[in-house]
Amino acid sequence: MTTTAFPHVLSVRIRPLLGLASVATALIATAMALIWAPPDAVQGQVQRVMYVHVPSAWTAYLAFIVVFLASVGWLWTKRPAFDAIAVASAEIGVLFTALALVAGSIWAKPTWGVWWTWEPRLITTAVMFVMYVGYLLLRSLSSDLEGRATRAAVIGIVAVVNVPIVHLSVTWMDALHQLPSVLRPGGPALDDRMLATLIAGVVAFTVLYAWLMVARTALERARQERVLRARDA
Amino acid sequence: MDANLPFIVAAYAIVWGSLAAYAISLRVRR
Repeated sequence: MTTTAFPHVLSVRIRPLLGLASVATALIATAMALIWAPPDAVQGQVQRVMYVHVPSAWTAYLAFIVVFLASVGWLWTKRPAFDAIAVASAEIGVLFTALALVAGSIWAKPTWGVWWTWEPRLITTAVMFVMYVGYLLLRSLSSDLEGRATRAAVIGIVAVVNVPIVHLSVTWMDALHQLPSVLRPGGPALDDRMLATLIAGVVAFTVLYAWLMVARTALERARQERVLRARDA
Repeated sequence: MDANLPFIVAAYAIVWGSLAAYAISLRVRR
């Protein structure tokens, strides 16, 4: 039964390297965020929460785009590897969305005066979170590999619409959340050191995402293989 | 010391703590 085995090179060669790179970039990004970056002119020190809040949100976007691509891959080819990638990315994306919400809430209290408020960015992010939790719940309802993967893929394709909605939500209505300061027309509007620190954070979170993905996908592939083996027996 | 220090510490501890816990969970899950 090697047909569903996870690519050997990924699990043996790249995985430890990604783990090492994750720890190294996390340490560098955290040192830059807490020591090297200047305090904000208006918010002071507490603005440093941005360096975990924004990369969490961006990594969640990346994860859900990967769910979308893997879902298309499954429907197109019916190769179980795509379904494993989709569920791995959805689970990790839910984690990063939760962290963006929690870090955002912690940042909101000292700056906005509230832990939570019903404004467009927060509402759309909460909806995105609930939809992908629903995706994971839907998967757990069935153990039929093919049917489950197909149903999940449909959700995985539809739910990606959340990503542009969340990103653009700050430009709608009277948003309390600040507007994009990096991915905006006219280029980044940020102090150079703050921008460099934010980029370091995004790199660290992306490398970590890749590491978690390799580990979580391998886990799912092993599960698939067990199901297939039980079916053959 | 900055009055908002607890918020900064909480945000970093929760984010990195959760990610580390998840990474460890992937090593023990089957």
